Amino acid sequence: MSIGGYTGKILRVNLSQDTVRVDKIPQDWIRQFIGGDGFAARILYEEVPSGTNPLSPANKLIFATGPITGTLWPMSGRSVFVAKGAQTGIWAESHVGGFIGPELKYAGYDLLVVEGRSERPVYILVEDDYVELVDASKLWGLSTSEATVKIQEQQRDPDVQVAAVGPAGERLVKFASLIVNHARAAGRTGMGAILGSKNVKAIAIRGHGGVRVANHEEFVALAKRAQERVRVNPQAKEMGQWGTWILTAVKQEIGELPTYNHRTGVFPGWEQLSGDYIRPRYTISDRACFGCSLACKKVNYIPDGPFAGTLEEGPEYEGLMAFGSTLGIADYPTTLRANQICNKYGMDVISAGTTIGFAIEAFEQGIITEADTGGLKLQWNDSALVIQLLEMIGKREGFGDLLAEGSREAARRIGKGAEKYAMHVKGLEISGQDGRTHRSIGLSHATGARGADHLRSLVTVDQLGYEEVAAKRWGRDKLPEIINPYTEKYKATAVVETENTYCIRDTLIVCWYSVSWPPIFWMDDFAEMLPLATGIAEFGSTERLTEIAERQVTLKRLFNAREGITRKDDQLPERFLKDPMPEGPGKGQVVHLDPMLDDYYRLRGWDLETGLPTDDTIRRLSLQWAT
Amino acid sequence: MVTLQKQLSVDYTKCTGCRLCELACSAKHEGVFQPSLARLRIVKYDDLGLDVPNVCGPCEEAPCVEVCPVYAMRRDPVTKMVYIDHDKCILCKSCIGVCVHGVIRLDTVAMRIIKCDHCGGDPECVKICPTGAITYGTPAQTAVVERHGKLKAYVAEIKRTAKAK
Repeated sequence: MSIGGYTGKILRVNLSQDTVRVDKIPQDWIRQFIGGDGFAARILYEEVPSGTNPLSPANKLIFATGPITGTLWPMSGRSVFVAKGAQTGIWAESHVGGFIGPELKYAGYDLLVVEGRSERPVYILVEDDYVELVDASKLWGLSTSEATVKIQEQQRDPDVQVAAVGPAGERLVKFASLIVNHARAAGRTGMGAILGSKNVKAIAIRGHGGVRVANHEEFVALAKRAQERVRVNPQAKEMGQWGTWILTAVKQEIGELPTYNHRTGVFPGWEQLSGDYIRPRYTISDRACFGCSLACKKVNYIPDGPFAGTLEEGPEYEGLMAFGSTLGIADYPTTLRANQICNKYGMDVISAGTTIGFAIEAFEQGIITEADTGGLKLQWNDSALVIQLLEMIGKREGFGDLLAEGSREAARRIGKGAEKYAMHVKGLEISGQDGRTHRSIGLSHATGARGADHLRSLVTVDQLGYEEVAAKRWGRDKLPEIINPYTEKYKATAVVETENTYCIRDTLIVCWYSVSWPPIFWMDDFAEMLPLATGIAEFGSTERLTEIAERQVTLKRLFNAREGITRKDDQLPERFLKDPMPEGPGKGQVVHLDPMLDDYYRLRGWDLETGLPTDDTIRRLSLQWAT
Repeated sequence: MVTLQKQLSVDYTKCTGCRLCELACSAKHEGVFQPSLARLRIVKYDDLGLDVPNVCGPCEEAPCVEVCPVYAMRRDPVTKMVYIDHDKCILCKSCIGVCVHGVIRLDTVAMRIIKCDHCGGDPECVKICPTGAITYGTPAQTAVVERHGKLKAYVAEIKRTAKAK
């Protein structure tokens, strides 16, 4: 293929038929979707019909990279897993750092599509042109970390990159994750359950090839300048030192640290979950994903106390939130141990923590009792209980079997009004933000294609009050409302523009932290770089990139629409709409979702009544094939 | 007169394992982003949170030179840098096996030995390394630079506390 950046090949592994096929990537896909998320959306829409049971052989797991994956561009080592969601039954994607994405490119493929279901436990081995389904019966039941080591030993190569399913994925825990490099998680939406349902323990990849870009000299020069920008950026430096822990203090200050299952946004014990507290006491090394000069990953060790000897990477802010403030626990070692259990079993920390929070509140309200929990007394601030529950979920034991279904399904089975305490959108648990004190994230959570999503359009400019950035991006006329976190006005504008940029980010695929917090790169930087990488001049226009982003957002919407998603599903839990924030700077605030939804649909060209893309929009984006 | 040779030195406690050095190295020498053709290598221990960069030299007695049966691997008498004479190389690959750092490699497509040449005195890996885990200089020099930095910070601290009083 003459276009730079891509290998131009899709590797298809069919487990049912035991066959392997290599497809060429059509050139018009590249011009319409760029890569990553976009290609995956195209394949999933065409090949997984509506109504497919996510855990049936008909579902497909797509592992995708972008045109600059494996190059010198900052933070380009990420990759994405896409499938129909195990927990949600709609569009599901989960991005992961580490080193496995570039390895797929070096092996010679842009995408890997896993189809069907194997009769026996296997792992998929890809070594350049060589592809094999290796017997994994001896690996079944092992933790993600053990499986990774075993596979590397078996292949006699420590550089084999492994994405592994843990016991949770094998038992089809609905929020099971895939773990690469021992602790980097494709966490959300249950990709582990999808792979587990296919009888696949792991995907192991080793590549010896390289990635060629269209204009090597200029691309390298630009990438080096871009690396330099990351290095001197003050927020990036802080991220390198503290990781996302830095957010705990920020969230507490603005009253948005989810506490007691999102009942409030202020947590008295926040200090013990903050970077200042953790780093000097527990952190032993900084680590980075492929091609990243930021190094936000922290390896931590607990020297004493009940969890003495715990050595693990993480948790990030979301983990601190999910096992700390949400459950009323002001104890860092507990969050590290909980995070470790999630990594070993292969479970999403946000969904696991929030589901436990739901159970505790439902217990407190008398909706579930000791008869339901098998004698467990659920209460806030109970470290031992959380650890015990996590193990039970991972093994699907007793009460854990119910929680393994996620909060929406657990609430449905419990009944008696439990739904009120399940903090989810479209079945995916709410992440560590609160729409009441940060209105734009309320809209993001409600409209996210995969459910309550903080990675698809989290606007940080308004929350952190970057007035100049906001003026440049959205026009000075929209100030001050657009950066006031407590008004609905113009929020859809900010969300749509951010969502478009993030969409390009996810097709390239680069790290969240290079575009959002801190915002080092934006759409025009990608427009400058992409023609050098690919040799396609039209990628140099931000208008064209915006159009590609709109196409992808709309295609994902069409995928969801086929599963019955409409405006009525773009909702938030009742708590965010009706219970005013009880304390802190955002005291008395609630989300008024409807006006923001109207604005959002209007900007997207979707129908106001149904929330579905209009015929005009579908034609404008050349998506007629998808109707 | 003794000329101290400049060397690549590593501080593994600073390495984050990002492998930017491998990328920059292959980009410069091969015109492609291909870590398998890089002249250095990050050895990763993900389960321990440890990454160790492996670079070429310094070798008091270079095994690659000693083992080469056709004298293709030679040492520059002034810079002490070991280089390979591709015209003489018979591809026996002994140097790969004997290298204690594991950084001499075989390009299996072009069938040639590849080896670090310190980029002629301005190594790419050092320039791209975001944490300073890889440095270039005589071992003594790099140590002095470190000490000098520490001293400067120490003096600044004395001045600051004096002012506070």
